[in-house]
Amino acid sequence: MSEVTAHHDSAHAHGHDDHHHEESWLTKYIFSQDHKMIGKQFLMTGIFWAFVGGILSLFFRMQLAWPNETFPILETLLGSWAEGGKISNEFYYALVTMHGTILVFFVLTAGLSGTFSNFLIPLQLGARDMASPFMNMLSYWFFFAASLVLFMSFFVQTGPASGGWTAYPPLNGIRDIAINKGSGIGFDLWITSMSLFIVGSTLGSLNYVSTVINMRTKGMTFDKMPLLIWALTFTAVLGILAFPALLAAAGLLEFDRLLGTSFFLNNIVINGDLLAYKGGSPLIFQHLFWFLGHPEVYIIIFPAFGIVSEVLAVHAKKPVFGYKAMVLSLGSILIIGFFVWAHHMFVTGMSPAIGKVFVIFTLLIAIPSAVKVFNWITTIWRGNLRFTVPMMFAIGFVSLFISGGLTGIHLGNSTIDIQLHDSYFVVAHFHIVMGVAAFFGMWAGVYQWFPKMFGRFMNETMGYIHFWGSLIGGYLVFFPMHFMAGVPRRYYAFDQFQSFNNFQDVNVFITIAAFLVMAANIVFLINFFYSIFKGRPVTEENKNPWGANTLEWTTPIHPGHGNWPGELPTVYRWPYDYSVNGKEVNPQNQPLEEGEQGH
Amino acid sequence: MGTTLLAVLAVVLFFTIIFLVSKASEMASIGKDADDEMEDRSNLQGKLLFAFLIFGLLGVAYTFWTLGPRVLPASASEHGDLVDSMFNITTVVVLIVFVITHVVLLTFAYLYRYNRNRQAYFFPHDNRLEMIWTTVPAIVLTFLVFRGINAWNDIFDFEKLESTEEVIRFEATAKQFGWILRYPGPDGEFGERIIDKEHISPINELGVNWDDPNSHDDIYANELVFVKGKVHLAKLGAQDVLHGFYLPHFRVKMDCLPGLPTQFMFTPKYTTEEYKAILSEKKYWQQIDPETGNPKWQDFQFELACTELCGKSHFAMQKVVRVVTQEEYDAWIQGSPSYYNTVINPDGAAETEDFEEEGVEAMDSTTVEVLAVLK
Repeated sequence: MSEVTAHHDSAHAHGHDDHHHEESWLTKYIFSQDHKMIGKQFLMTGIFWAFVGGILSLFFRMQLAWPNETFPILETLLGSWAEGGKISNEFYYALVTMHGTILVFFVLTAGLSGTFSNFLIPLQLGARDMASPFMNMLSYWFFFAASLVLFMSFFVQTGPASGGWTAYPPLNGIRDIAINKGSGIGFDLWITSMSLFIVGSTLGSLNYVSTVINMRTKGMTFDKMPLLIWALTFTAVLGILAFPALLAAAGLLEFDRLLGTSFFLNNIVINGDLLAYKGGSPLIFQHLFWFLGHPEVYIIIFPAFGIVSEVLAVHAKKPVFGYKAMVLSLGSILIIGFFVWAHHMFVTGMSPAIGKVFVIFTLLIAIPSAVKVFNWITTIWRGNLRFTVPMMFAIGFVSLFISGGLTGIHLGNSTIDIQLHDSYFVVAHFHIVMGVAAFFGMWAGVYQWFPKMFGRFMNETMGYIHFWGSLIGGYLVFFPMHFMAGVPRRYYAFDQFQSFNNFQDVNVFITIAAFLVMAANIVFLINFFYSIFKGRPVTEENKNPWGANTLEWTTPIHPGHGNWPGELPTVYRWPYDYSVNGKEVNPQNQPLEEGEQGH
Repeated sequence: MGTTLLAVLAVVLFFTIIFLVSKASEMASIGKDADDEMEDRSNLQGKLLFAFLIFGLLGVAYTFWTLGPRVLPASASEHGDLVDSMFNITTVVVLIVFVITHVVLLTFAYLYRYNRNRQAYFFPHDNRLEMIWTTVPAIVLTFLVFRGINAWNDIFDFEKLESTEEVIRFEATAKQFGWILRYPGPDGEFGERIIDKEHISPINELGVNWDDPNSHDDIYANELVFVKGKVHLAKLGAQDVLHGFYLPHFRVKMDCLPGLPTQFMFTPKYTTEEYKAILSEKKYWQQIDPETGNPKWQDFQFELACTELCGKSHFAMQKVVRVVTQEEYDAWIQGSPSYYNTVINPDGAAETEDFEEEGVEAMDSTTVEVLAVLK
């Protein structure tokens, strides 16, 4: 009787009761306010964009590998963008621009933190939903609108934005297709899309932070929160503080484009004609852009940090080593992360004196990153490692984070950056550390929580194929690029330069490896969608399939809106009580034994 | 059409086989003991991770072996040595960390793969260990920062120019899609530039004030010519959008912005011929270029490239760079006609007041050619 009362009370508090009125298809699957469904919507949209972005990269990789060949299939698929089966240089730049925008914002921001913040914050905190389920729903639909607008830009006559994902003016600041085709309506749509995206992201982030502060269940003190929740909270804080700068920059840029203001433009001469812009500075845009742009890479990697910490602990059956150090290092990366942005601008005309400050902060941020790596490695030391698919991706993440992170030490040192700026070395660095590594974090999370999301398991053999294909393929694509340290990025072809044309065979190799990664991910796609409907079902006996301590596994196999049918669980222990008391697993809601000291 | 269909079928078949095999292995494991299953799987994957370590490290070594010689050759400028030595020191540090962390990570993965009889060791933290791996990176990074900033200070110490006797100044102004390269001519002084509608025109894109006599001997070159051993100051700018001034062999890179001048200072160490001689001793450069039939080093040339995305032909903003001796340079300066004398005022008679119209009217076939080159 008391259970029923408790349920009713909580349900009333939410103005929602799934016992009394069935949800319609529309409110359950489309305009859902259930954080779990919204999380899945973010995931599905993210996967869709990941494949679009991936396919775009294959198109431009084909151009780089075989610049003199023609592929009739390209003309069939792309029409006038690839006349005669060869991608035009204008479309090439549109491809790289859209690839960057899509992957950075739609996949690795929305698809990663959107998915796991939504799905896991309430479940791991023991909350029935987000602080504001309605705002949460809006955050997805703003993202969806942003997606739709950007997708539309592929179909306008002058093509999508093509001035780089960094949108630097004046290339993107003058609305004249004679200067750059993609700077026409395609870029207006890009700005519209980004603005919608930022609104959605801010709504979501505010909600995540409010939920973590206010809606933890009884006993879930901050020091008992899983590291994933810390990571997701800090991600949201980064988003709230950083994204408005991009919104401001995008707004001012559109003023320059449409109203003729000169925020970012000065003394522009086109074909011997001095335009009327006076007094602005393109550097100010770069400062605003990177004030978001650099914290953005932490927005991308923090959720992966959190996921990997959870996955390693669960499958090693060992506590994450140095919980406090892990939280502190996340916190210090958050703070220092706001003082490193101009390391993207060492040779852009910014004062060299200012550059020095950014060198110091940039290399400072390597310390907490190193601490995290050492702590992860110590976490698996003397563990009992179950190499399930999510565990493989977590190990792969640590490897990739090391490989990609270390080259940041080259790039953060302004002296070396003179030579490496805008070269393939940069491409290799950030693709490994925030591209492939972040994807590995995301995949680890998908395989780990798939049973909670859909009540079924993904196929393991296909999971291993996906893992090895992506790990080997990822390294084969990006490792050789380090040797192209003197070759500029964003080049459509290298035949104009004797200095850069000696990597043709390497480019062929890289492109073939890129196809391998895509093939591995088609296996993932098949596995993912097949398993949603036909995967091995989760049963009562294995409803906590990995033996995890965290609260999400104490919900029913198919939790309804509200997550726990009765009372909310009470938390007694920290999430990493693995292999104590003679038991491998000690869930957070299991009371301490007599005489046992909690962490 | 037939081959396309066949290719599509092959791809579909490939994924179908993967799918069926995977499902079959899942079926086969039904009813097996879960611990057995986990041991088998962890055993296999743990060994694979260890194999990945071995083959991965071999692969890294192989890549250094094969691709290493293709990286841009030694620096051709004095400050470039600082850049290269910073790069090399950092690479050594990074490689050591890379190898150690990977060996530890993947060996642990292999050693501690699942065994039902082992209990994981509860080891939540250790302050001493954590202190060690906070302070050691801090010390190494401090060293790198210190060295890096010292080099940086040196590279951008423009006060050096005041104490330097002779500085070769030139101006590189980028535009879609080419470079306007201006040398001050025999007098060593640039003509003044005025950025307004009155001065800027299709034949005077830089807005040079032709009333300034210094402008009359300014040379608009089609290549960059440097002098070995002399300090050079590149005055950089752009007309329309952002561009990047990049001399790969000289380790020189600086963005060119419209309305915001930038500069870079450097000293070439070798003439082009001397640099070729250095390359001719390297195996990679002795290879025969299949297109020309010559050893690669023979046709070597320094180049200027653009490194800031500037539109559809960003990849084609190439200019040749020559490094010569002072005498050759002086001869080149003397022998190059000035822009004023060839384009603006070719017959040398027109009054300065109406130079523009006269200039345009007086354009003959040579000036058209010069203009075409400049475009």
